[in-house]
Amino acid sequence: MAEKKTKGKKKTATAEAVTESAAESQETGRTTGEGAAPTGEAKEDFQALQRRREDLALDVTRAFPDKYRISGEMEGCSDAAKIDLLERLVRTRTFDARMRRLFRQGRFEGTYYSQIGQEACDVVIAAQLEKTDFVGPSHRDLGASVGKGIPLTALAAQVYNRVDSPDGGRYTACHYWHPEYWVMQPSTSIMMNWIAATGAAFGFKMLKKKGVAVAFGGDGATAHGDFHEGCNFAGVHRLPIVYIIQNNLWAESLPLSLTTALTDLAHRADAYGFPGVTIDGNDVISVWNTTRKALQRARGGDGPTLIEMKTYRWFGHSDIDPADYRSEDEVEDWTERDPLPRYVAWLMENEVLDEERLEGIRQAIRQEVEQAVEFAEASARPEPEAFLSEVFVHEYPGFDVRAGR
Amino acid sequence: MSAPERGGTTTYLEAIRQGLWEEMESDERVFMLGEDIGVYGGAFKVTDGFLDRFGEGRVIDTPISEAAIVGASVGAAMMGLRPVAEMQFIDFISCGFDQLTNVAAKNRYRWGQATPIVVRGPAGGGVHGGPFHSLQAESYFTHTAGLKVVCPATAYDAKGLIKAAIRDDDPVVFQEHKFLYRRVKEDLPAEEFVVPLGKARIHREGRDLTIVTWAAMVHTAAEAAEALAADGVAVEIVDLRTLVPLDEEAVLTSVAKTGRAIVLHEAPRTGGFGGEIAATIAEKAFEYLDAPIVRVTAPDTPVPYSPPLEEYYLPGKDDVQLAARKLLDY
Ligand SMILES: Cc1ncc(C[n+]2csc(CCOP(=O)(O)OP(=O)(O)O)c2C)c(N)n1
Ligand SMILES: [Mg+2]
Repeated sequence: MAEKKTKGKKKTATAEAVTESAAESQETGRTTGEGAAPTGEAKEDFQALQRRREDLALDVTRAFPDKYRISGEMEGCSDAAKIDLLERLVRTRTFDARMRRLFRQGRFEGTYYSQIGQEACDVVIAAQLEKTDFVGPSHRDLGASVGKGIPLTALAAQVYNRVDSPDGGRYTACHYWHPEYWVMQPSTSIMMNWIAATGAAFGFKMLKKKGVAVAFGGDGATAHGDFHEGCNFAGVHRLPIVYIIQNNLWAESLPLSLTTALTDLAHRADAYGFPGVTIDGNDVISVWNTTRKALQRARGGDGPTLIEMKTYRWFGHSDIDPADYRSEDEVEDWTERDPLPRYVAWLMENEVLDEERLEGIRQAIRQEVEQAVEFAEASARPEPEAFLSEVFVHEYPGFDVRAGR
Repeated sequence: MSAPERGGTTTYLEAIRQGLWEEMESDERVFMLGEDIGVYGGAFKVTDGFLDRFGEGRVIDTPISEAAIVGASVGAAMMGLRPVAEMQFIDFISCGFDQLTNVAAKNRYRWGQATPIVVRGPAGGGVHGGPFHSLQAESYFTHTAGLKVVCPATAYDAKGLIKAAIRDDDPVVFQEHKFLYRRVKEDLPAEEFVVPLGKARIHREGRDLTIVTWAAMVHTAAEAAEALAADGVAVEIVDLRTLVPLDEEAVLTSVAKTGRAIVLHEAPRTGGFGGEIAATIAEKAFEYLDAPIVRVTAPDTPVPYSPPLEEYYLPGKDDVQLAARKLLDY
């Protein structure tokens, strides 16, 4: 017999939130004991593993193998800017780890996509942008928003889908954006942002405005037709845009080899007549130098650049995905290539940073994150009426969204 | 996960899984392609176990390329195969729209070419999926001549109709309602059965008022009918099951009996398939009507994410009851 589908008063159990992959999810796994999300003992193991890994992620001073040490110089980057970058990285990660836990505790509905492990790919370029430069993020780009300086309070309210979210709760968690910071709302439909950011770059050019656009996408997303159409258009018009592919080797459960027959996605740029480079996306120095050059090219009228950043997502596609399609060895190796401790060690070696300063930064950020969480939790749930407006800018005579009732 | 066992209490999801499994077993031309359907077993686990049983030659994990998923299906169908393409969420069918509406739908008309594909995937709201994971997409496709559109509401129909869809020689869009996946179940026969496309089903008999609906709204209608029954109102529920082909006769017969009609659907009102039903009733059963035809639908907005917003968005039992009262008092 069908369970009753009720509406109105009943609070929806948090465990029933759903979506994407384990879509997935709740609905499935959590309420019925089947499906993607692990249950019973497996669930406890899974949760313990998640917690261990989060603790690891927060330990930014931990040791790592010598082969992953980073070196070189960050061109045109003052010591103050280096520290500022570190703060943005730590802020992104601390917020992410905190939100993951809150999700597991059932503090908000829906789903959660973690970026832990990939922060450098977003934060380092976003931190170099002017406020009016345009950012087109995707579903795993917390760092783009934090990197560009959007307050954590707004981002937390977005995750909690409360009235203080920039979208007032209309839109899916983790799709971070903010109109004042020129970070567009990501689209769940893969690669829509890629073309939209291309259009924004086109706008800069047509309006003869200074400004660049940055678009973010995953390895899997490069298989989508819109990837091609966006890049091709940008190549033809030599648009001021930097395309970032975060190649984390997986698209949900799909390994790179089933997304592409290439090994390096940067080669795709050859087809569009602009440069493509592949770098270690977990090496802050390399990301800084490469993105800096690409931004200079864009600002100087030399057109687009495609940067493939090899990186790794530590957790599942969404929070309930155990990601057991990946090998433990692979995950282990990539947790050792964590961009944060590598950068911290380099800063310390170069005497830009010491333990005490780092501790100060971490404490301040922990506080900032807690304040953001408090803010989101205190923010009201949207009133049902709140979504019955703004379908159009000019609602035409006779338009009545409620006519269906 | 192993071969599905036939018979016994079966969820809507498991019913679809059984139907797919049986068609894969019985017809070598049938194969499946989609995102994360193999190793992962599908975002909702509809295809769990298929890779092990049927191998990667027939259970194909594709890149994130909906145009290629639908387009490759069309091409393979032209070569005599019977592809079943999964959209991870039916919303993403927009990325394969050209292949579906311009190629698959028009092949037969343009050059006599049959295109026996099924494009299936989870549709509908109620699970906090937000604007890109909650669509009821039927109207895009009912409005495209050449496509058949199936929207089952029960486990029995989900199984019987997926089998019919795979056997059909035309392109079929098969919308599975994700809210129902694990929430509705029933005892299914152990024997094989197929539910033909184009036949509606009377979900509940009554003499006072007809509700024409499909998919998850069948259950909403049933709740409203139950509440109204307490007041002595006998509601008849027509579950269309397939929108194209439409079982016009079932609709008209019911309305002729009750004289009052509510058309209920989860998608927004404007341009929704409910308008088509209402027009058909007005054209062909006008003289039987004792009251205007009323549509109960979602508002004309995208599907919002936050639970209180979404709960308001989806038509509920109370909305249906209110409309029923209006008609009865008319
Ligand atoms: C058009 C479309 N198809 C499918 C999906 C479902 N989906 C969401 S994210 C994702 C995988 C994305 O992989 P990748 O681009 O590598 O990004 P990552 O998640 O690894 O950061 C898929 C298949 C979607 N959101 N949009
Ligand atoms: Mg990826």
